[in-house]
Amino acid sequence: MSRRAGRGVGCAAVVLGALAVAGRPAGAQHVTIGPQAALVDYREVSSGLRYSGSGFGAIATARYRKLSAAASVVRLSLDPTKGSTASVGYKATEFDLWLGYDVASYASLEVGVIRRTADPEFEAQSLGAVRVGGRSTYDLGPGATIAFRADYLAAPKFSGGGSASFSLDLGLGLDLVVAGRLHGVVDYTFERVNRKTNPGGTGEIPTPIQQSLARVGLTIGF
Amino acid sequence: MLPRRAAVLALLVLLATLATGEARAQAIQNATLRRANQAYDNLDYRQALSLGRAALRERLTGAERARAYEVLGFSYAALDSILKAVDAFKQVVLIDPERQLDPNRVSPKAYSAFDVALRQVLLVRQLRVDSTSFVGGKGALPVRFTVTQPARVVTRAIGAGQTNFLVDSGAWNGQVNLNWSARLPNGDPVPAGTYTLVVDARLGQNSFTTSQPVRVTHGSVDTLPHLTSLPGYQYLPETEIPAPSWRPLGLAFLYTGGALIGTVGLESGSLGAGSKRELGVVGGAALLTGFIMTLRKPAPRPAEGNILYNRLLKEQIARRNTDIAKENVTRRQQVQLSIVPLSKSGAPR
Repeated sequence: MSRRAGRGVGCAAVVLGALAVAGRPAGAQHVTIGPQAALVDYREVSSGLRYSGSGFGAIATARYRKLSAAASVVRLSLDPTKGSTASVGYKATEFDLWLGYDVASYASLEVGVIRRTADPEFEAQSLGAVRVGGRSTYDLGPGATIAFRADYLAAPKFSGGGSASFSLDLGLGLDLVVAGRLHGVVDYTFERVNRKTNPGGTGEIPTPIQQSLARVGLTIGF
Repeated sequence: MLPRRAAVLALLVLLATLATGEARAQAIQNATLRRANQAYDNLDYRQALSLGRAALRERLTGAERARAYEVLGFSYAALDSILKAVDAFKQVVLIDPERQLDPNRVSPKAYSAFDVALRQVLLVRQLRVDSTSFVGGKGALPVRFTVTQPARVVTRAIGAGQTNFLVDSGAWNGQVNLNWSARLPNGDPVPAGTYTLVVDARLGQNSFTTSQPVRVTHGSVDTLPHLTSLPGYQYLPETEIPAPSWRPLGLAFLYTGGALIGTVGLESGSLGAGSKRELGVVGGAALLTGFIMTLRKPAPRPAEGNILYNRLLKEQIARRNTDIAKENVTRRQQVQLSIVPLSKSGAPR
């Protein structure tokens, strides 16, 4: 479990490093990087199994002409909420990657990945999926950009097995130039996965997963 | 009314004549001629004729001799002896070809006699050359003179070392206007230096020659400065500030509302309504930002029309500067000729 988490962090570091290197040569490129804090609400299987928590991580973004990329990694500590049937909390590491291509000044096509691992491994489902969707962005004013995202989570994989024919991921983001190179970045992601399992071949039973994640960060632009 | 005006005019003419006569008398050294002049001024024409003829038998300078014949001419004209007046004026212009009478200050009879005299003598008068400056090969020096009889007139420019340039050769009469291009046969400008413009008029056995020295100097042709703007055209601002609007807050509402509706719509019934704390944080930040952006002065946006106008203006200036650069290359290979007429003694007039 810790090995998986370490792999995720390593992967994020590689992506961030690559983005930083890519940002060096041309003036047209724009790269931001910085820390972020996160709030999370997680539910699984039934309304009784719910957690909430917070965490810290990092985010990096890059833009080159019509191409854009964003990567985020957060380490979350989740505890059972009041009234939850869960008795212990767990830690989770979530890695997200979005790659966008602008098809209009306000619309982009988007692909990406999500990978979330839980520690201890069996306290919650680890998830890996591919994102495919679109994003709409709009400038609210000088240095302020708002974005709305909707992605389909394709080919999801769960640590506890099962499948999900319908999985969606919605997002609301805001990038605000606070001062000079300093950006304030806030992001909301709501994830709904209609997971179904078939324990012992007795027939499929729904074991849905739902997560709300808010990330607030400060980044520095290069 | 009319006789009074005529009397005033006659008085003025008399005063002017007396004044000039007085000045002329002071310049005359010969006593007999001075007396002839005085007699003419006193309207004693017969005495003026007698004294004038006597003066001509004495030793006189050229100017005095011309004045003596002039007194005779005026006196004969006053006495209606026109033929004799013409003969006397012929002598005047032969001595002083540039002599001219002011028709406003001499009697019409004397003036017409003088005019007839001029037509009976071959003269080249009033040779005039104005100061000028032009690019070699692109201009000319205007030369003008008057020939008093129909004659074959050859005009030449003679430089140092007897270099000889034919300016014109032709039959002329009256006012003549010529141009000297100041070019060598190969098209190059003539070398700098002093030249003498010689006008030679021939009519049968009669001939008359006059000249005017000029100085030719070489200089570089002024180059044209490059343009940074076109007169009457100014660059326009390439950005414009749009009018304030509620659009940022509206968009923040729209996007946040979309996220809220999506979240509520996607929430699983079996999992129950999720926490809206996360959406509240992000949505609140978005709405606050939208509100602040609504209050803020809108960001300048590109003014496409002005950008296009400025681009066209820049292109036009660049095109003009290209033409100027080409023109300057040509100008640097050219010579600016300045020609100044000199007095007969050689000093600029």
